[in-house]
Amino acid sequence: MKLLSNLLNSRLFALILKEIRQILRNKQLIFLLLFPPTMQLLLFGLALSPDVKNLTLSVVDYNQTRESWELVSALKENDIFNFKGYQTDAETLSQQVRQGNLAIGVIIPPDFQRKINQDKTAEIQVFIDGIDANTAGIAQGYITQIIQQYNIKLANFKDKQLIQTEVIFLYNQGLTSSWFFVPGVIGLVLTLTGILISALTVIKEKDVGTLEQLLMTPAAAWEILIAKIIPIFVLLLGDLLLASTIGKVVFHLPFRGNFAVFVFLSSLYIFVCIGIGILLATLVKTQQQISLISFFFNVPIIQLSGAIAPTESMPPFFKALSFLDPLRHYIEISRSLILKDIGIEGLWRPTLALVGFAVLLLSLSISRFRRQLG
Amino acid sequence: MKRILAQCSKELAQFQRDRLTVALAFILPLGMLLIYGFAIRLEIKNINLSVRDFDNTSFSRSYIDRLYATNQFVPVRYQPDGLDRGEVKATLVIPPKFYKNFQSDIPSQVQVTVDGTDVNNARVIQNSIKATTQFFLQNVQKDIPQQKIQPDIRIWFNPGRKESLYIVPGVYGVILWVFPSMLAAIAMVREKQDGTIVQVYASDLTSVEWLLGKGLAYFLIAIGEAIVVITLATIIFQVPIVDNILILIIGTLTFLASAVSFGLFFGVRSKNQTGAVQGTSILGFLTAFLLSGFIYPVSNIPYPLSLLSNLVPAHYYIILSRDVFVRGTGWTSVWYIPFILIFVSCFFLFVCSRILKNMQFSD
Repeated sequence: MKLLSNLLNSRLFALILKEIRQILRNKQLIFLLLFPPTMQLLLFGLALSPDVKNLTLSVVDYNQTRESWELVSALKENDIFNFKGYQTDAETLSQQVRQGNLAIGVIIPPDFQRKINQDKTAEIQVFIDGIDANTAGIAQGYITQIIQQYNIKLANFKDKQLIQTEVIFLYNQGLTSSWFFVPGVIGLVLTLTGILISALTVIKEKDVGTLEQLLMTPAAAWEILIAKIIPIFVLLLGDLLLASTIGKVVFHLPFRGNFAVFVFLSSLYIFVCIGIGILLATLVKTQQQISLISFFFNVPIIQLSGAIAPTESMPPFFKALSFLDPLRHYIEISRSLILKDIGIEGLWRPTLALVGFAVLLLSLSISRFRRQLG
Repeated sequence: MKRILAQCSKELAQFQRDRLTVALAFILPLGMLLIYGFAIRLEIKNINLSVRDFDNTSFSRSYIDRLYATNQFVPVRYQPDGLDRGEVKATLVIPPKFYKNFQSDIPSQVQVTVDGTDVNNARVIQNSIKATTQFFLQNVQKDIPQQKIQPDIRIWFNPGRKESLYIVPGVYGVILWVFPSMLAAIAMVREKQDGTIVQVYASDLTSVEWLLGKGLAYFLIAIGEAIVVITLATIIFQVPIVDNILILIIGTLTFLASAVSFGLFFGVRSKNQTGAVQGTSILGFLTAFLLSGFIYPVSNIPYPLSLLSNLVPAHYYIILSRDVFVRGTGWTSVWYIPFILIFVSCFFLFVCSRILKNMQFSD
């Protein structure tokens, strides 16, 4: 009881109350805490999808026999290709693919049936729009597979498939693409909001000149700073819960790991972000510069983190660089805890990295802040 | 006209004096270009695969050799929790009696477990293992029938499937949208924040003249950015122009005009610089990044959301730039794009001037 009343009467508590009031009065800050995270999560989760679907396909059938129609219907019977009807001649077909109106063009030659009946090989031509290298590769794979299957059917070959591959996808059985992106975007949201909010609240007093007034009070520099950090930390924890709720409700993320561990490691990352934010605030003078300079930092932090494209596929130099990116380690943690059922012992490496970043950045930024005050 | 030009040169002088903004305008786009051009690769090349061979015959070993011979997989020693710890992307288990079953015509099942976290590459791994197995079977089975239909597949424009050829023309659409609009928004809101806008009200400059002068200055800066970014990218990533250069020039100019007017609009609307930067970076960057078809094609976006792509100028510009740098089909497929972009610029400029007029009277 005595401890509690001591705490309530302390200078630190009064300062924290002041900070909370200041934040609650700032409509823009509240807006920044709620609107961008929600929009980022929804847009990233809904719009980014590597599932190849609805590739437009068209056929020129110079043969017009039962065999050629069967081949075309084999190409139609799936949700990967979206059949756009026949074209009359090869010229128009290739023109359509060239201009990007069609993703795939197939030409069946006039001697298609004759060659099949004579047990010869009939060649069909397939054009794929290669503008998108990734999609083109996947489309090529599907076309080859469909034709292969049709070949087996044509030959009446009792294909027993002597080696059958049974593929199981761990952690994400249905290969839902949002399950890959959303855990990364939770980290991205904490980064963008955390850096901006903490930088803005610190720089504001510097910019407006009220920092001098605070310094004239008996409060020590560390008290001023702690009083600033605690409310920001609580607000960002709120953002984390908001993001997790959206992840759970909208995207049905499984959250297989221990949620308490997830919150604990996330708070570690929140401290990293606060550290970066305060450091940026000590580097510049005005509020105007802070939003610019935080944009400077955000681009590499996000792009090297693996939130969008996997870090494994980066060239060696950028892969090495990505280890210096705290978000990369946090995303490793959040993806593991959301999709896999693994405990903190399996995550000691990224956890250690986050502890290192948090200690380094917080001590650096606090010492710079104190020096600037003194 | 003279007043517009005077306003424009004043803006340019002001811009030049602000070191941080100049750096933002030129260094950050280049940094973004390098990161996207070099580091964004969607397809993994070296996939860690571990194999557990319960059969251990020369037959099963030749199957394993076949898998690693694709140069897509890297052998890693089998460990029970390798997938959990993220050390391997896939494990493959060859059952006992693999060879014996094959000889006596009994199918045997190879168990493949793939880490499904990275959805795109999980699918690539699945397809690749299936295709390799098929290929292996064709080589060892004797009575397999001859292929009656042989597809002759040609991937146009990018037969080697170089990813930079896809990413680099797309990144122009993101960079040349985000930075010009952000700079214009900051410049606009600064006058409001510093209160210098009142001096403009007091002068005999009309709001339209003022707007056009400011817009023109940032349009010129944007052209400078475009020249720097596109020239350097062409040299570094070897993505040359394969089409009429006029298409690139007209398309880029209209696109930059729409980006600047979008930025001016946000500057007029927001109260301070934080708001302007956040507005342009969140709304502008996210839409240009996610709804433009930059990373994954627009046809992958689920239905109601995909309609929004039609409102994103970067979506049109990326179609145009991919045509200029990769496709090379001339005006026929992109003629409508400059018209749309001009319309977008006029729309935002019109809205800006309306807002400015109202502000002048109410203040």
